Amino acid sequence: MEDLTLLLPFVFIFSAALVAVVVGSTSWLQSANGRSPLTTLAWLLALAPLASFVLLAQKIGLINEGEKLKASLTWLPSLNISFSFYLDGLSLLFALLVTGIGTLIIIYAGYYFQKEPSAWRFLSYLFLFMGSMLGLVMAGDVIVLFLFWEGTSITSFLLVAYKYKYPEARQGAFKALFITGGGGIALLFGLLIVAGVSGETSLSAILGSGDLLRESALYPLMLGLLALAALTKSAQWPFHFWLPQAMSAPTPASAYLHSATMVKAGIYLMARLNPVLGETELWFWLFSIVGLITMVLGAYLGLKQNDLKALLAYSTISQLGVLMMLIGQDTDIAFKALVVGVLAHALYKSALFLVAGTVDHESGTRDLRQLGGLRAKMPITAVLAVVAGLSMAGLPPLFGFLAKETLLATAVHPSLPNFFSWVLAAGSVTAGALMLAQAGVLVFGTFWGQPGEAATKADEAPKLMLLAPAIPALLSLAIGILPEPEFLAALLAKGAEAAFGDKVKVSLALWTGLNVPLLLSIVAISLGSTLFYFRHPVRAWQTNFAAQLDLNRAFAATLRGIDWASDQVTRLQNGRLRRYLSFIIVGMVGLVLLFTQGQFGQLLQTMQNDVQFTWTGSQDFLRLVAILVTVGAAIASVLLKRDFAAIVALGASGLSIAVLMVLEPAPDVALVQVVVDILSVVILVLALRLLPRKERQNALSLNMTGGQADRIRNIFIAASSGLVVTVITLFALTSRPRESVVTPFFIENAKPLTSAKDVVGAIIVDFRALDTMIEIAVFSMAGLGMFTLLRQATQALGDKVGEKRPSSAKKLTSFGIYGLRTSVFVQALARLSLPLAIVLAATHMMYGHDQPGDGFTAGVIISLAIGFAYVVFGYEETRARYKWLSAPLIASGMFVLLLVGTSGWLINGTFLSPVDYGAMLNLSLPTGFYLSSAFLFEVAICLSVLGSVFFMLNTLGHPEGLGQNETK
Amino acid sequence: MELLTALAIGSLFAVGIYQMLRRNVIRSAIGLIILSSAINLFLLSTGAYLGTDPAYDGAANPSDGLPQALILTAIVISMGGLAFVLSLLGVISARYETSNMDEIERLTR
Repeated sequence: MEDLTLLLPFVFIFSAALVAVVVGSTSWLQSANGRSPLTTLAWLLALAPLASFVLLAQKIGLINEGEKLKASLTWLPSLNISFSFYLDGLSLLFALLVTGIGTLIIIYAGYYFQKEPSAWRFLSYLFLFMGSMLGLVMAGDVIVLFLFWEGTSITSFLLVAYKYKYPEARQGAFKALFITGGGGIALLFGLLIVAGVSGETSLSAILGSGDLLRESALYPLMLGLLALAALTKSAQWPFHFWLPQAMSAPTPASAYLHSATMVKAGIYLMARLNPVLGETELWFWLFSIVGLITMVLGAYLGLKQNDLKALLAYSTISQLGVLMMLIGQDTDIAFKALVVGVLAHALYKSALFLVAGTVDHESGTRDLRQLGGLRAKMPITAVLAVVAGLSMAGLPPLFGFLAKETLLATAVHPSLPNFFSWVLAAGSVTAGALMLAQAGVLVFGTFWGQPGEAATKADEAPKLMLLAPAIPALLSLAIGILPEPEFLAALLAKGAEAAFGDKVKVSLALWTGLNVPLLLSIVAISLGSTLFYFRHPVRAWQTNFAAQLDLNRAFAATLRGIDWASDQVTRLQNGRLRRYLSFIIVGMVGLVLLFTQGQFGQLLQTMQNDVQFTWTGSQDFLRLVAILVTVGAAIASVLLKRDFAAIVALGASGLSIAVLMVLEPAPDVALVQVVVDILSVVILVLALRLLPRKERQNALSLNMTGGQADRIRNIFIAASSGLVVTVITLFALTSRPRESVVTPFFIENAKPLTSAKDVVGAIIVDFRALDTMIEIAVFSMAGLGMFTLLRQATQALGDKVGEKRPSSAKKLTSFGIYGLRTSVFVQALARLSLPLAIVLAATHMMYGHDQPGDGFTAGVIISLAIGFAYVVFGYEETRARYKWLSAPLIASGMFVLLLVGTSGWLINGTFLSPVDYGAMLNLSLPTGFYLSSAFLFEVAICLSVLGSVFFMLNTLGHPEGLGQNETK
Repeated sequence: MELLTALAIGSLFAVGIYQMLRRNVIRSAIGLIILSSAINLFLLSTGAYLGTDPAYDGAANPSDGLPQALILTAIVISMGGLAFVLSLLGVISARYETSNMDEIERLTR
């Protein structure tokens, strides 16, 4: 049944969190006169969970009739995930606990933090937690469930670390987050597998696909992951050790999170999924055994604690073990025991926690060795402690007795394997006895005996503060002695049925006749009483026995191991390019070899066929020569000792690559390759010049040093990468289907659409004009970036490179680079080359549409002429000579680009679409030249490139390098 | 012929990688250029058509224009990148007075 009122509790609770923040940020809380405003605030805010409790309690009737309520909001419709909530008996039981105890905790926290106005933060966290916890138990979709599950982990971290100035608080919070957060990851994967197998993320759909899930091959994996989440969250052995440390949280948080609600999230999850994942052997043994160990271990460790909260934490662990063990069973009585146990434990344990908090608050300590005899000073607290303690001890006539009776009845259920029934019964009796003893130690040690140091200054807490422990404590009593409340029994039955998947009868009568469970109970009580009587020697013995055995050590060791491992991993990252490159290359080679190992036979076949290649004439001969020159020059660039020679070899290699491109045939590319190759050589030489002489000597010696092993390793890496690339290329060349989807379009439409004969040129300036525009922008940015870098660097170094220097141009005339004299002939050549270059560039731009060549080539050609001038005339004179070379070139180029694009947009409706202005204006132009947008585009590119290259030459060609003297 | 082309591209790649692995920064820059040439050649030679004529309108057996256009862009961009790297090198060598990669790394620590 759809019921949108299910959303209201969330509205209430999250608004309360917000109100706490808003009020906290005002100065209202600061003006503490008499009664603290924080207490008032807490009372007001407690209305939110109270209203939620009342609202949810009204649903009991519907739920008891077997109705299931749903509310959902659209969230991710494309993934079929909705933000939905689901309420049945099990959810409602937990939801009532969350809101009911939550109300009391908020009120209690108001008194607990009476003197701390800044505790609005605590209240806000508490509400956030409450909302998350409520969302967790009411989630109608597993993704929503995961979200709220993580919410509880994070908010509990905030709450435990609330007193973050204390190292214990930080450590406890970290440990809790580490373990429950790890469980959260397991939960996500587990839930995704469940959703994947069942095909749905909504809870009601998953609950209907039990057989599918149990029969899936992934069943052990999903169960393992989900169990990991539940066991960590619910502090089961061997993950239990985070819970005692989380006790560094302020007591209201401990009472709420670590007894009544959050630690039961794991119980809730497994109980929820029991109908679909349970009833298997794996399920039974996993939860029975883990639960049993946790139950006995928690009870044993609890008895030896001196800290009230630690004692309560271990007894909580024990109780959680009981619940987990019950989930493992497949009998209706076990699920009766489960719901009774959840409720009984939540009531008495939150009461005891709050009593412990009160004692701590009033006496200043919670160490049993310093406490004692408090009953005279704190009579009401003492009475509450006795009531709750009796329930914890499992004595009649309290609710806790019923919880223990049903547990024992489960343990001796005839459906269990015979020997395991004995083990279970023995474990339950032992745990029960230990629980009784520690309940006695807790109550007696605090309120009876010799008044300890702390007892003298203690005083009774405010009456209203005691309301919080009083209500759950008295409820424990009331459920035990009053005539059975029908609605509660029915609700518990519905909860148990939702978890069991079948009918469960729940009666809350304590007396069920003289039977085996009662006998066992008597054994447990007498054993517990004996332990309590001999508590001093027993506890002393416990303290000495196996003190070294502590899972905290294992945890610390694990953390150290993780630290060590991450240290090893990050040590691989030493910040050296060579190291990274090696890893990438080796990884690539490894992957290629891994995935192609089966195809080597085929490859060899291809190679054999290919070896008998046929000569198709002089072109192939030319290609062979070009390849030999390319590879040979490249290898020479490795072997040549001087950097300058290596650069020249690089230039040779690049030029013969241009020959290969011509043979492809790709004349446009070849042209660009030629000019870029020359420009690269020029700027490399200029860069080389930047390095001081001494360094260059060092650098030369570096080429050959580095050790034999180093070099062999590099050769190996390089050779294997080359091999893999060869293989890939060969595969590509021989197996590539020689057809294209896009190219035919370009070839067919180049002439009609762009009036260009050159398809490549058409692609660049028309079909993919936007790409080209961005490309030029990037190129310009490289130039500008160099300029900024230079400025930055020189400013940081306190040098004067970026500044204008006094006019030394005159005396530098006719001295070239390095200040060497250049011959008059060369000077004349340099003077001539620029106008020639400009003419050449202009023809490239004008006829680029029909012939090879484009604006980029044109720009580089002019730049090369200027570079030549730099070499011949030197830096100063070149700058003086060509003053028009400056940054605005880039800007004007980009501006023209945008203008051309916009004109296409205005005339044809598309940005950068081709326009022939010449034809539009009826101009008579030379054949082959069109005054079109493409031409202007080329001009713009040329301008931008010229500006950028100017920056490059200027930066790298500066006579003083980048801020140091050549002479140094 | 395919084997030869593949071998040429593979060797160029290997040379580029080897240069980049060296400690001299200038050699690394050279390696970068060779590496991008190898990749450009690879793209060019795996074009869809085994054309014998340039990609012009009306060509009988045109080569594939698309990878050519892409390579053109790639050449330009890698040229810009190279220039930027070199100016970085200039700044670094001015600041640390070395062009040994390992020393630069140690100096920044």
